[in-house]
Formats: sequence, structure tokens, C-alpha cells
Amino acid sequence: MDYTLWLIIGASSAIAFYMAWSIGANDVANSMATAVGAKAITFRQAVIIAGILTVIGAVFVGPHVTETVKKGIVDIGSIEPSTLLLGFIASLLAAAIWVTLATWKEMPISTTHSIVGALIGFGIVCGGVSCINWGKVGSVVASWVLSPVVGCILAFIIFKIIVKLIFAKEKPVKSAKIIGPIIIGFTALLIVSSLLMKTPLGNTLQISLYEAFLIALIISIFVALIGMIFLRKIQENIVEDYLTVEGIFRKLQIITSCYVAFSHGANDVANAIGPVAGIIPLASTGVLSPSASIPAWLLALGGIGIAFGCITWGRKVMRTVGGRITHLTNTRGFSVDFGAATTVLVASKLGMPISTSHTVVGAVIGVGLARGLEAVDLNIIKKIVISWLLTLPIAALTSVAIFLCLRTIVGI
Amino acid sequence: MKKEENHFRAPVQDVLRKKSPFEQLMEHMGKVRECIDILGNGLIEYYKGNYKDFSEITSKVSQIEHEADLIKSNLRNHLPGTLFMPVDKGKFLWALREQDKILDHAEKLAVMLDMRHTKIPKKLQDVFIDHIKLVMKTVKAMEVAVENIKDLVETSFVKREREQTKRFIRDVHKFEWEADQKKYDMTKAIYDLEKKLDPMDTYHLLKIADWVDDIADHAENVADWLRSMIAK
Repeated sequence: MDYTLWLIIGASSAIAFYMAWSIGANDVANSMATAVGAKAITFRQAVIIAGILTVIGAVFVGPHVTETVKKGIVDIGSIEPSTLLLGFIASLLAAAIWVTLATWKEMPISTTHSIVGALIGFGIVCGGVSCINWGKVGSVVASWVLSPVVGCILAFIIFKIIVKLIFAKEKPVKSAKIIGPIIIGFTALLIVSSLLMKTPLGNTLQISLYEAFLIALIISIFVALIGMIFLRKIQENIVEDYLTVEGIFRKLQIITSCYVAFSHGANDVANAIGPVAGIIPLASTGVLSPSASIPAWLLALGGIGIAFGCITWGRKVMRTVGGRITHLTNTRGFSVDFGAATTVLVASKLGMPISTSHTVVGAVIGVGLARGLEAVDLNIIKKIVISWLLTLPIAALTSVAIFLCLRTIVGI
Repeated sequence: MKKEENHFRAPVQDVLRKKSPFEQLMEHMGKVRECIDILGNGLIEYYKGNYKDFSEITSKVSQIEHEADLIKSNLRNHLPGTLFMPVDKGKFLWALREQDKILDHAEKLAVMLDMRHTKIPKKLQDVFIDHIKLVMKTVKAMEVAVENIKDLVETSFVKREREQTKRFIRDVHKFEWEADQKKYDMTKAIYDLEKKLDPMDTYHLLKIADWVDDIADHAENVADWLRSMIAK
């Protein structure tokens, strides 16, 4: 029994690592693509930021989504623990394979939706159609429409604000030096408040909502002041010096790309680690404990896997989002980052499994609609949307196939 | 632009870089600038009676026209219907087409002038030189207006930049009008001399006046398409 346990833990950890790798290669790469594409950060910096902040996001904000993925889709009460174990492994593997395939094809898809699709597939096979929580599936499908639309609207608004308050002014550089830190302060406000409100961290520190907001406000003002100090020395070189404005936003985009990585971690990393966190107690005790805490080594594994995935295959998806859809400058990249990250963060606060890929693509379209982009290739966007639609059925079918194979091998 | 390019640090960014239609339009305009510079200065020498280097200028103009053609067809062939641009794609392509016409006319003019070295009478030289200078000014003004697209796109067409572009376009109209007036002076001066001139010379001089002026006309057309491109 002991050996079997270790075998199960080892195998599931390996698969979790594979899943984390594919998330890094696809999801993280596409969330950092705007920053790398707009040359705000280098590829290496993107990998480091993504590695660290996604884990932080996953630890402090992630659990909301993990719960949804773990328990929401399939009614686990009606399935035998051993079958469930195989099912989790099969779903994880199926999702990872589909994400790998999509990454190879350079399509930014949603890892969340692949895992949801895979869970549905295995759920139908062993529990029947009735054990699937179709309401939850409906909300996932709704998020296909909702997340790009919300990302689009937010990016549109933030870009319009930049245009109205900076580009339309007589001295754009001077305005950018004032507006930039304010937006950054606002970003800090969102990050800190999401860290403190209704999270494990907030609970252990025993901070009330009101206090949390106050702390967030103070920190954000502090961040804004630091931003002002950093930008103080920048002067405009010529009249209408838009290059310097872009330069200012290049600096500010470092913050927003951290924001993206963080909110991405909050929403998506749980996909890789969540099921394994369920598998381990399941294998050792035979029951799925409702409040499975995620062990630290598993998180580290996830973080390393993501960074590794981003280094090895990250360029593929970055090429699509950061270059093939459109060419992004820093102000545009900033708007996209901000719009997408805010959408994802709010959604993960609400426990909705939405996709960074969807929101990023939606946000790019939003900036395009604000007449901010030189050319958006709608053909590529069409291909991406098709790959989104394929995600659920393909992940489900692969998961069924793997599950049936595993069941035959193990002989349950 | 240089500053932008120097910022590439990781190799991945070279891959991400893809020339936008506007950048390609600028590149095409660079060819126009180069060509009109060479041709204009060559013409002034030609008018003064120095035909020595003109064949070389003709082949250079031809070469530039060909290079610009490649840019144009590349841009036009890779502008699929699914590409979403902040300006009307049709108008954008018309502007490009007119811009290319400038080069077509420049080439035609250079080749024709090189076929028959027509001597410009002393009396006509000044007005001819003034005319080509005005035509060059018109093209320069058009270049300034086209260059401003970069700022327009960068600021996502704010009012201030649009007003500025409109001012530049008005300059184009002004110079084009002046060039037209100069052309009428030229034509009149040629008719004044018709009794003394060889008929073939007269014909050729009138043709030169027409064809040089065509360049200014097309520069004005570019400006007009630009104007309708930025109209709300």
C-alpha cells in the first residue's frame, strides 16, 4: 500500500508539473505577451515575474477558484474514491495534452476551460450526465462571452482615459507624469485590497474589510508617490514628444505586468495544483477532505513548472498575442494589461473560473475599437476563437479516452 | 524610430515585430522623397543645359520606382479583408496609389527627357526652374502631412493632431496652386516664343510643363485622400 501511495503521489505530481509547464507555456506566456511585445520587459524578466507572482497570487487568492474546479463541476459524492482518483489524473493529463497541442499551434487558449472540459468528460463516463453540475458548466460557457467583453470594455475605457488626459493635452509628457502614477496607485489599490479582503491572509491578520481598504489606500498612495519620484526627472525633448510618453508607460507597464501575473496566478495556477491537492489526501486516507490545504512543496512545484514552461515554449504564444494580432506600443500594452488583469482579478474574487487568454484577446480588441491600433488581424482572432470553442469538447474526449485506458490498466 | 529599434533586447522581439501598414506607407514615402530629390535637382541641371549626368539620374529614378513598387504591392497584397484598421482601408489604399503615381510620373518624365535632350531657351530657364522648385515644395509639404499620420495613430486621432494635419494639407493645396499658376506662366512663355522655336521643341517643352505639373497634382491627391481618411 505504501508503495502504491508513493506511486500515486509521484505520478500525480509529475502530471501536475506537466500541467504547470503547459500553463506556463500557454497561459502565462499570453498574459505576459503584451508587456514583452511592447518591450516593457525582457523575456527573461517576464519569466521571473511570472514565476514569483503567479505563485503569490495562487497562494493568497487562488483557493476560491480551486474550490470551483475541484467540487463545482462534478458531483464527487456519487463517485467512488478510487475511480475519482483515476478521473482526476486522467482529466489533468487530458487538459495538459490539449494545452500542449494548442501551444504548439501557437494558439492562446484557456487552461481553465481545458480542465473543466476534461472533468466533464470523465464525469459523464463514470457518473452519468446527472452528476455534472450543468449550472456551473453554464457559467463557464457564459464566461466565454463575458470575459472578453468585460476585458474589452475595461481596456477601451482605460485607453480612452489615456488619450483624453495625456495625448489630447498640449504637453503630453507633463500630463503623463501626473496621470501615470495615479493609475499605478489605483492598480496597487486593487492588488492590495484583493490580497487582504476575504482571503486566508486577511483572516490570519484579522483585518476587517474597512481596515483592509484603508491599508490598501495607504499603500497605493505610497506606490503612486514612488512612481512620481521615479518619473520626476523625465523631460520632454521636443514638442509632441510621444516617444517619451511611451517611455513613461514602458516603466509603468512593469507594474501592470506584475498585476497580470498576480491575477493570473490567482485564477489559473490552481488548475494544475488543485486536482493534485485533492488526489493526495484521497490516496492516503481514502476520502476527499472538503478543505484540502495545498502543501507548500506542491506550490513550489507549480511555480517551477510554470517558469519552466514559460522559458521553453513561452515564445510561441507570445508571438501570437504580442505580435501577430497587432503590434502593441507601451500605452496600448498598458491598457490591455490593466483591463485584462482587473477582469481576471474580480472574477477570481467571485470564484468564477474565467480565462486570462480570453480577457487579453478581448482587451486587445477593446483598444483596437478605441482606434488605438494600427492594424488588428481579425483572421488570427477568428482562429483563436475557434480554438476556444474546441477546447471543451476535445479536452472532454481526451479525458474519457485516458480514463478508460487507465481503468483497464488498473483493473477497477 | 531609431530609439525604438535599439530597445530590442531579447531575440523574441524581432519575431514579434511586424511592420504595420502605416510604417510601410512611410517607407514608400521615403522612396518618393528620395526620388523627387534626385529628379528635381537633376531637372534643374537639365534646364540649365547640363545633360551629362541625366542618364544616370534616369536609371536611378527607375530603380527607386521599382523598389517603391515592391513596397506598394507587398503592402496591398498583405492587407486582407479581415484586417481591422483605425482608418478606412479603401481610402488608405487610394492614398498609397496616388503616392505611387508620383513615382510613376517621375519615371515617365525622366525617361522621356533622356530620350531627347531638348534645349530650354535662355528666356524660359528661370520660369522652368521656379516651377520645378514649387513642385518639389508641394511634394515636401505632402511628405510632412503624411509623416503626421504617425502622430495621429499614436494619439488615436485626437483633435489637436487632426487640426495639425489639416494645416499641413492646406499647405499642400497652397503650393500646388502656386505650381499651377507657374505652369500657366510657362505655357504662356512657350507660346510667346512659338515663332522662333522648332515645332518639335515646342511640343516637347509643353509636354515637360504638363508632366512636371502632374507630379504636384498627384501630391495634392495624396493630401486629399489623407484628409478624407482622418475625417470623422
